Amino acid sequence: MTEKETYRIRLRPTEVELRAPAGTALRDLLFEHGVEFPCGGRGRCRGCRVRVHAGTAEVNDAQREKLSDEELKNGWRLACQCSLADNLEVELRQWDAAILTDDSPFAFEPRPGLGVAVDVGTTTLVAQLVDLTTGRVLAVRTALNAQARYGADVMSRIEYACSDGHLPALSQLIRHQVASLIDQLIFSAKAARAEVRDVVLVGNTVMHHLFCEVEVEPLSQYPFESPETGLRIFRADDLGWNLDPGSTVRFLPCLGGFVGSDVLAGVLATEIGKSKELGALVDLGTNGEIVVGNSSVLLCASTAAGPAFEGARITMGMRAATGAISQVTVEGQRLACHVLGNTAPQGLCGSGLVDAVAAGLDLEIIQPSGRFANGRKEWTLAQPVALTQSDIRELQLAKGAIAAGFRILLEHLGLSMGDVKKLYLAGAFGNYISRSSARRIGLIDLPIDQVSPAGNTALLGAKLALFTIDGEDGSYTGLRQKIEHVALKADAKFQEAFVDALAFPQHSHVHS
Amino acid sequence: MALFENLQQAIIDGKAPLVKELTQQALSEGTKPADIFPKAIVPAMDEVGRRMRDCEFFIPEVLIAARAARAATDILRPLLVGDEATRPAGTVVCCTIKGDLHDIGKNIVAMMLESAGFRIVDLGADVSPERIVEAVREHHANLVAMSALLTTTMVNMKAVIEALAAAGLREQVKVMVGGAPVTESWARSIGADGYGKDAPAAVDLARNLVAA
Repeated sequence: MTEKETYRIRLRPTEVELRAPAGTALRDLLFEHGVEFPCGGRGRCRGCRVRVHAGTAEVNDAQREKLSDEELKNGWRLACQCSLADNLEVELRQWDAAILTDDSPFAFEPRPGLGVAVDVGTTTLVAQLVDLTTGRVLAVRTALNAQARYGADVMSRIEYACSDGHLPALSQLIRHQVASLIDQLIFSAKAARAEVRDVVLVGNTVMHHLFCEVEVEPLSQYPFESPETGLRIFRADDLGWNLDPGSTVRFLPCLGGFVGSDVLAGVLATEIGKSKELGALVDLGTNGEIVVGNSSVLLCASTAAGPAFEGARITMGMRAATGAISQVTVEGQRLACHVLGNTAPQGLCGSGLVDAVAAGLDLEIIQPSGRFANGRKEWTLAQPVALTQSDIRELQLAKGAIAAGFRILLEHLGLSMGDVKKLYLAGAFGNYISRSSARRIGLIDLPIDQVSPAGNTALLGAKLALFTIDGEDGSYTGLRQKIEHVALKADAKFQEAFVDALAFPQHSHVHS
Repeated sequence: MALFENLQQAIIDGKAPLVKELTQQALSEGTKPADIFPKAIVPAMDEVGRRMRDCEFFIPEVLIAARAARAATDILRPLLVGDEATRPAGTVVCCTIKGDLHDIGKNIVAMMLESAGFRIVDLGADVSPERIVEAVREHHANLVAMSALLTTTMVNMKAVIEALAAAGLREQVKVMVGGAPVTESWARSIGADGYGKDAPAAVDLARNLVAA
């Protein structure tokens, strides 16, 4: 066999140039450069589309099904369906996502040595190296979860893991990636490797299972409950990690269903289980997670909100990256759009979408039913970015799922929204979303002074766990017993509440 | 005739009490129960389907309209006689597939099929292949309509088609599938007879499959 020819591929706008042998899948080349594959590279969505400006990339049936003739003519391709057969110049739709770390102060009991806290997100990873005597964060590293090329959301990740015995490979992938993040942390902080005693990881139930190599099949179907949700403790040398052989790696336990230790960590970080007042923690993502309660009772649930908050399935949607409209405000009768990176607008990210719909409601361009007024088909926010009717529908589905889940949890307690005194918004999206817009669209019906962005509470909680491991091995038995998981899907009232929550509130709140 | 136009509009607007009143009025004026379907209910729900497809109507509006249509069908069904009652447009066994609990979409399809004159046997959500086979046999169904909303559960549709074949019923029923992750090509690959990309498409498909 002759040696394969290699081709060049030049990326816009990052101006990165790659070389790879003929036949290399674009998926493998472009994932490292921020292109996401929401459906796991099966050609079932449009998430990985890229625009080929020079060179030839083949078109197949899957692409003809997902892209219009005009898009194909203009060079748009699904990266997951193409392999390298020419020198290419490719424009990426997605790049440079901001990942939220945590630098909030916290109280701790000093202990000797160093520790590593890792938030294993479905999309992103964040790891911090912490000096356990001083509580100082010595280094931070972030990355896109390497598993994401096999599916952006947990369901497609599960599907991949269950097919053809891919679980061990997915597990190896994440273990290697976390090990390499830890290496980078130690290297950049010039820390002593032998000083690292403990590693604490948190993540949702699927991330827990994929790291620990536990079968995810039970999570693929109703009733979506796995029997293996407990704390997992590994010795570093069992994982083959280059740390002191006696150091331990803990993946904290899940709470039930899809609700994992990231939410457990959120409860630790926000202390909603310690207050007499009713509090809540909401993480707005593809899987929205909600905890509500106080010092005597805590309920948690997850609800499938879909990817609208992350800008997916939105006509001009994109992640919160350069070129995304991230804020929309009404100034008189004019719209003011803030674009990330101060460049020309290219798309709309989740926070911009929520703002745009809130503005549309206030300007009566959008009716409370979600329909555009006066037969309008789309609404240009800032050339060339427009909001379409189906974008509004996607947002309605997302916010309906969260609002309905919240309502059902409160009803389980015999309470309503008015009883909530404090609400923490966790995660990157919670950090950027406008609280008044969130209220205007009926996502969170609370006055804005009762709502606070809480940052990456999963990472903060993981850090707190590092300091208490001597007394509490990480199983959090007492707290886990107190937090009851409510399976929303199986709740007969949920679907009704969901339909009720699809429309937008009639009027804006004067006092918020 | 103004009465039928008003009845259509009342269904589209989702005004169930008015639908009930107008249906009774039509009957008292001597309209045959079976005629009210093609004159009012079917065209009204076709219009609802059009508005849904054009994004004018969303889930709540469609559900409210379908509920209003049901106010009419609930009155008319018991009045259908002989041939009309035993041979409606077709009998459809519908369900959300095993492992999946999403049933809003399935409910919309079921209600729209019902308004289009089909007899509906709704098995609910998380339904096993065995129960579907049983229902097809018991109700002499000529159509099975299944929905899945998860990529992890849509694979279970294949088992239903296999179970129908194993029970010797595959020749007797057409199978149609739908739901967000389902595609035309996937439907073909598992041997389904058709794929409906939304509720109005499902109604058209059901009509074509039964006529075929």
